[in-house]
Amino acid sequence: MNARWLAGKLGAAALTLAFVLVFNFFLFRGLGDPTTQLARLPQSNPEEIEQLRAEYGLDKPLLGQFTDYAGDTLTLELGVSQRTREPVWEEIKDAIPWTLLLVGTGTLIATLVGAWMGVKAATKRGTRTDDGLLGFSLFTYASPEYWIGIILILVFAVAIPIFPAGQQVTPGAEFSSWFAEAMDVLDHLVLPVTAMTFLILGQYFLIMRSSMVDVLTEDFVTVKRATGLPWHRVVSKHAVPNALLPLVTIAAIQFGLVAGGAITIETLFSWPGLGELSYNAIADKDFPMLQGTFLVFSVGVIVANLLADCLYFFLDPRVQAR
Amino acid sequence: MTGARARELLLGTWRGRVALAVLGLFILMAIFGEAIAPDDPDASSLDTLAPPSSEHWLGTTESGADVLSQILAGARVSIVVGFAAAAISAVIGAAVGLLSGYFGGWTDRILDGLDTWFLVIPTLPLMIVLSSLLEPSLGVLILVIGITSWAGTGRIVRSQVLTLRERSFVERARALGASHWYILRTHIFPNALPLIFANTVLIVAVAILSESALAFLGLGDPTQISWGTMLENAFSAGAPSAEAWWYVIPPGLCISLLVLSVSILGYLFEEYVNPRLLEHEA
Amino acid sequence: MNRWKTLGATAVLVAAVALGLDASSGAAQDSGTGGKDVLRIGWAQDPKTLNPFVGVNEEEYTVWALTWELLLNFDPETLGPSPGIAESWEVSEDRKTITFDLIDGARWSDGKPITSADVKWSLEVLGSNGLLFSAYTGNVKSIKTPDKDTVVIETTKPDARMVGGLWIYILPKHVWSKVPLKDLTGAYQPELPLVGSGPYVVAEFERSRFVRMEPNPEWRGDPPAFEEIQFIRYGSQDAVERALTLGEIDFIPEVTTTTFQRIGEQEGIETVKAPTYAFTELAFNLCSEKHCPDAVFNPAIQDKTIRQAIAYSVDRERNNEIANQGNAFVAHGILPSFYKAFYEVPEQDYPYDPEMANQLLDDAGWELNDDGIREKDGEVASFDLYVRSEAPADIQQAKLIAEQTQEVGIEFNVQVVSTDKLTELTIRKVDGKPAPEFDTFIWGWGGDPYDPSFLLSLLTTDEIGASSDAFYSNPEYDRLFQEQTTLFDPEERKEVIQEMVAIAQEDLPYLVLTEDPYLEAYDSDAIGGVERLCPAETGTAFCQQVSYEPILNLEPGAGTSEAVTTGVPGGVVAIGGAAVAILAFLFGRARGRRETEPLELEA
Repeated sequence: MNARWLAGKLGAAALTLAFVLVFNFFLFRGLGDPTTQLARLPQSNPEEIEQLRAEYGLDKPLLGQFTDYAGDTLTLELGVSQRTREPVWEEIKDAIPWTLLLVGTGTLIATLVGAWMGVKAATKRGTRTDDGLLGFSLFTYASPEYWIGIILILVFAVAIPIFPAGQQVTPGAEFSSWFAEAMDVLDHLVLPVTAMTFLILGQYFLIMRSSMVDVLTEDFVTVKRATGLPWHRVVSKHAVPNALLPLVTIAAIQFGLVAGGAITIETLFSWPGLGELSYNAIADKDFPMLQGTFLVFSVGVIVANLLADCLYFFLDPRVQAR
Repeated sequence: MTGARARELLLGTWRGRVALAVLGLFILMAIFGEAIAPDDPDASSLDTLAPPSSEHWLGTTESGADVLSQILAGARVSIVVGFAAAAISAVIGAAVGLLSGYFGGWTDRILDGLDTWFLVIPTLPLMIVLSSLLEPSLGVLILVIGITSWAGTGRIVRSQVLTLRERSFVERARALGASHWYILRTHIFPNALPLIFANTVLIVAVAILSESALAFLGLGDPTQISWGTMLENAFSAGAPSAEAWWYVIPPGLCISLLVLSVSILGYLFEEYVNPRLLEHEA
Repeated sequence: MNRWKTLGATAVLVAAVALGLDASSGAAQDSGTGGKDVLRIGWAQDPKTLNPFVGVNEEEYTVWALTWELLLNFDPETLGPSPGIAESWEVSEDRKTITFDLIDGARWSDGKPITSADVKWSLEVLGSNGLLFSAYTGNVKSIKTPDKDTVVIETTKPDARMVGGLWIYILPKHVWSKVPLKDLTGAYQPELPLVGSGPYVVAEFERSRFVRMEPNPEWRGDPPAFEEIQFIRYGSQDAVERALTLGEIDFIPEVTTTTFQRIGEQEGIETVKAPTYAFTELAFNLCSEKHCPDAVFNPAIQDKTIRQAIAYSVDRERNNEIANQGNAFVAHGILPSFYKAFYEVPEQDYPYDPEMANQLLDDAGWELNDDGIREKDGEVASFDLYVRSEAPADIQQAKLIAEQTQEVGIEFNVQVVSTDKLTELTIRKVDGKPAPEFDTFIWGWGGDPYDPSFLLSLLTTDEIGASSDAFYSNPEYDRLFQEQTTLFDPEERKEVIQEMVAIAQEDLPYLVLTEDPYLEAYDSDAIGGVERLCPAETGTAFCQQVSYEPILNLEPGAGTSEAVTTGVPGGVVAIGGAAVAILAFLFGRARGRRETEPLELEA
């Protein structure tokens, strides 16, 4: 792997992150000044407000405030929640694994199912199977993921109560073993992951399909067929791996969409991840928390893009050869 | 760039016809919906969460309002916000793409950097952050969605402008002493327009989905009924638990159908603009 | 061969789903309690903190009220003063000194004795620094503790709140005084188990999951029937209500008004509806030139005839039926019916009477102009009506009110704004003086469980620039207000309060629309001994935040469940089965395909 290339990518990522910090800082200072919220309490007096301003460091010059903010962020001091008076990072820290679980599982399943569907559609291009699959993914793409989630709840949690309708574990329950608790989480994971999968499935399918179609018309495929290799082997051993590559780049572009989906789906299912944290922060007008979750989402997407770039680099034989 | 080709794509394919019809239907709903609604969409009654009946074809909401009337009235917000926000994003995206593609150098570096940033940053979280800091209203929604959705257009326009810039007619115009603005206005922009248009139609779809997502999260305009706020109300009123499928299915279905029809039209436009794609359809 | 594979796979699938359904329905009723008698309460919001210095939410009060007591608790039947930490009290002749005799031998849950030092510390420190507790000790001159069982409070003038209105929790000084004040009002979280004097103390608190309370080992009374109380947090109100019907919890202290009817119709579920000490009102901008020289409003709103006409033209009954599904209570004046000791329906009650409204307006010279709106001397009866976007029921009421007043020629322009925006409009200041910018708005207030002073104070001149949002100023009202704060005898006090209510009804700074309800639901199989208290007969089953007595009355019913959740939940079985079936199916097909012809690909 080329060190210069890696350094370039890291540099770009760092620059993007720096922009996020600047953006975050100015936006919240400009529109969400914490002391204006407090000024609305009828019992507050000007001295108390001044004191609070000093505590928040709002009496320093702007650049000083920004360097404070940047420094604090890098040491994970993301401010104090207006709701709980505790560090924002504490709750975010606990929420991240849950979002990763939801998003990771959803992406994995969407990749597998979407890729499979894409291969199917490409090899049966023009047939009713192809049309059907195309129609299905267009529909899931066009449908709001939380609407699908609500319907899933209505059908599979209320009408036919197989799955729980929210949260990550049965509230108040005591578990006899680690395994039992894991199973309970899995039980609660099914519906949210299904909604998440529907969200991303459409794009994965379309990309896989079109890249399969591209690959299947390439010369090396014709050559392989000419050597008498069975068709399904040509598809599975040669075409598919090559077609998977664009999927990686698309997965990278999708992270933003996935972040958005995490917010709506977690809100719907009360899944205790970053998304639910963001939603509660909106409802409570807890700006430090909102700022914190936005930062983490952005960092997450930036890091994911970086990883996807590296993964692409490893996978693509043509890039390797350079 | 013939109108005949456009007509052929839109009305020739059955997909195009259906999509156009559905979109047309929703636009009519947006204009006339509230007028033809059987009841006042806001009117509450004591008949809460009632299933469809002859009086209420799609049943009632948790405050006894007529679901069908709300559906008809809600079309307006989706259409207005969708198209207006897409228009704003088209203007910003086109401007950024044109300027950065044409002028290059530092203008390009800065504008393209900005473009990349908006592409990388997760859109819904960004929209949420912006709308939660402002007073909720249709105008704010349109603004927020518009200024967060332009990056894709910007990118596409930029690369189109890059190729156009090298074309011979541009060189000739420069040689004849034409100013940058003249060239942009008469040569570059008209050639980029179809692409901008095609891309913007797709952005309409994204904008509609974004508006309903924001509404679902409680950031929509509280004085307006939209399909997104209907879903929000349904959920918080316990419609899933009450198995009130008549309240839950229609709003989402309308959003899906509208987005679907706009997307299909968008893809058709893209095909028309980008002939290269057509090769794979044969 | 393929057909068999398909059949086999389908069979597995069906079996898996069936098993899953069966297991699920079983699991739902078996959520664990581990053999103890546990009272499981569900809610959608849990406490953000256990620290009374910074907490501001109802849920926090609910937990505090079980853990700590007041100097004088609220009597569950009358809500009047009854023994708490103090078992008796004596008011001096001049009513400016009250001597409290504390209970002998009482101990905190950690075994240390409860003394007058605890009382003094709590009243002074929590009383001046707690966000919600600092309104009560304004008149206190000194708190003396001549011995460990006696507290003497001296006030600058007679203040009846010292007996029956001191809603400041008595905390153990030996725990809380060790913490610097800066931390107490900042991020401090007390150690668990909490040290308290009430029947239960918080033993475990997992934020956004649950609060677990255990009986206080040093509790003075009989051991409570429930050996544990769990407050379980659900993601949404909907989930809480579903949990009750599924038997996962036993009690819901707050039911949504839109689902209240439905949940009550379910078998085994009982509901309770009671008025609280909170109301929703239509407020008018009565700011005078003297107090608010720069206020912005339509001067017509300050014409009493207009306000009275509005009151007659609004059908409070019907609006309550529609906007609140009939689940709130129609209000009669500024003092909610909750205050039984001091309440009566006022004589001037403004029943729905549009004829009367028209009459009043006609007699006063308000004539209908061409637009159908009343006009007089150049003033037009067209007003802004602000309502908060976060309160859909209020928005509904606003629209109904606008419809109704239209009938008599008064026009309301309903403006839906955010709470922040409305706050801005009401606390707006110019040159340091209040300059509110509104004609009318709909909002609400909540008071204290016994002492009505807070709610009454909203209409005093002193509160202009602070809590007053109608900016009403009437010296007579102010005088009566001061007088009632000095009267310890409920009968005497009631007379004065009734005079105040009469004045408020005449001048109408507020048209109080509804009294907010407590809506509770419980599983009657799981809980017995439910008695409506706070106040007796017309109160609630839980008496949250006000008294722990009703909880002590509760006993486990016939249907509490005992199993602990083990094994594999039904849904996972179903999914697992389905996955196996699908894989088998695919495998079968893959094997079959080897023998078939390759598909031709179109170029």
